[in-house]
Amino acid sequence: MNAVLDLVAVALIVAATLIIGIYGLRISRTTGDFFVASRTVRPVWNASAISGEYLSAGTFLGLSGMILLGGARGFWFPIGYAAGYLLVLMFIAAPLRRSGAYTIPDFIEARLESTAARRVTSAAVLVIGWLYIVPQLHGAGITLVVVAGLPSWVGAVTVAVLVGVAVAAGGMRAITYMQAFQYWLKLTALLIPVVFIAFAVGGGPHDLDPAIVFPIEAGPSRLDVYETGSLMLALLLGTMGLPHVLVRFYTSPTGVSARRTTVLVIVMVSVFYAVSSTLGLLARMVAPDLAEPGVADTVALVLPSRVFPGLGGELLTALVVAGAFAAFLATSAGLVVSLAGVISQDVFSGSVRSFRGSALLCTAVPLGVALLTAPAGLVSSVGVVFVFAASSLSPVLLLGVWWRRLTARGAIAGMVTGAVSCGLALLVYAAVDGVGIAAPFLAQPAAWTIPLATAVMVAVSLLDRRGAPLRTDRYLARLHAPERV
Amino acid sequence: MSDIPRRVRVTADAGPSRRSGGTTRGIALPGAATRAIALPGAPVDEADAVYSRALRRSQLRLALGTTAGFVVVGATLAAVVALVPELNEIVVLGVPLSWLLHAFAFYPAILVSALLYARAASRNERLYLALRERG
Repeated sequence: MNAVLDLVAVALIVAATLIIGIYGLRISRTTGDFFVASRTVRPVWNASAISGEYLSAGTFLGLSGMILLGGARGFWFPIGYAAGYLLVLMFIAAPLRRSGAYTIPDFIEARLESTAARRVTSAAVLVIGWLYIVPQLHGAGITLVVVAGLPSWVGAVTVAVLVGVAVAAGGMRAITYMQAFQYWLKLTALLIPVVFIAFAVGGGPHDLDPAIVFPIEAGPSRLDVYETGSLMLALLLGTMGLPHVLVRFYTSPTGVSARRTTVLVIVMVSVFYAVSSTLGLLARMVAPDLAEPGVADTVALVLPSRVFPGLGGELLTALVVAGAFAAFLATSAGLVVSLAGVISQDVFSGSVRSFRGSALLCTAVPLGVALLTAPAGLVSSVGVVFVFAASSLSPVLLLGVWWRRLTARGAIAGMVTGAVSCGLALLVYAAVDGVGIAAPFLAQPAAWTIPLATAVMVAVSLLDRRGAPLRTDRYLARLHAPERV
Repeated sequence: MSDIPRRVRVTADAGPSRRSGGTTRGIALPGAATRAIALPGAPVDEADAVYSRALRRSQLRLALGTTAGFVVVGATLAAVVALVPELNEIVVLGVPLSWLLHAFAFYPAILVSALLYARAASRNERLYLALRERG
């Protein structure tokens, strides 16, 4: 591996990101208004931007590592991430676009007419966002360790500083173009190496025994029904609770175009996941020795130079490194923008200055956590975020959009129940590693925490003598009625 | 004869709106749709409220139906991949077919569900708009 080449690739990505950022900033300044500017964004660009933000380090590096390490059960993660967008499309995309809310707490406050419900939602959003930024920073750390031998804090600090400063400078809010560019970069950075490696493996000597490379024990037939079902429930419902997903619908002019954009997003992320899965399959053929916890996540970076010793492999590695950094930057930036919006409105005055302060705060906290913790598997730490988002926020979003009798008290009770039960289950599992028969229920709690939270939410709402806000019917009508064009 | 049209009495149910009672393709309407009568101080458009509740119900039914369909297809696919041992024997390009199906076969199912849903949801909305124009 050639450290200089890889660092040049990182520098180029950073420079390209900043240049496109400044260019995008100028567009949004001249138009004067972000919301007007956003309506000139075509669905393809908008969908690229959403996909660019959504595909994080967890998938870019982690997915192939997961398949190498855990076998076919690793495929469930990208399937769940893609299907999560199907649920976003069907249950919340168009209604939330029409709600006019910019963040999840905005929506909850407008729907339930309650500041208390808003506060609880904001707290959940912050926890989710922070938990989600940590694996991005870990991924950046791992990357620089592998390609340049730098200590692991360098990558984390680099990404955190870049994102914090860029968002605080105000340049990130309207940069659909930057995120869109990063989707295509990430896809290219994975697709080109995969094509080259696939041809090399296909054309090389066939001494691989499929029964050894793809053993039945690690294959799809070893299916744990509870574990898989619970995981899929968390991934499917967790997507809609991620803080940076909702913001993006605002760049669609109408509910109908929000749906069209979401369908395109499903196409784009599916293509990326298919490429990423292929890399995982190739990794099992070429680099079975890397199948160790902690090392497996680096396989996407190591594979090209393993197959092509020399300059070709080095160039391909540099491309993958560039894509990986695009993943860290895009996802963290999207998250920090949404979180800073929440903090500046809830804690401070909501002014531009407080937004900047919040942006720095929102980067500093996860950076601290990332430096204090050792990176576990990237995919599983992202999985934890989905479980928490699904338990705490998905019931309130679904019931808020579709059920008119939801009340503020019910929403708060349900959110707290979901967050606490899920958090406790995961903490207990991490502390004692599960106790006998309870272990799977603690490791994958989504299958019982989501129904529990929903049941509490419905029960408390029905018992609430104050009832739903008077304007509920009108608000729901607005969510579901198509705009007149 | 002058060009001024003769005054006619306007009846409640004129023209095409007569057909809008009952169930109209997908959007359920209660037997006789409530007419919007613009009395001073009256609540805004009761008919609108009825129509939009009907729209919300039909969209929810559509979303739940599509979810159910997707879950059935997905579960079947997972079961086939897990339970048919012959798929491990068939090797395509060096990879067992069961692995290939697990890696790539779910995405088309997701995409088809998404396309079907998006088309039907837009159709529901067009129907709702058409009803409101006539009502």
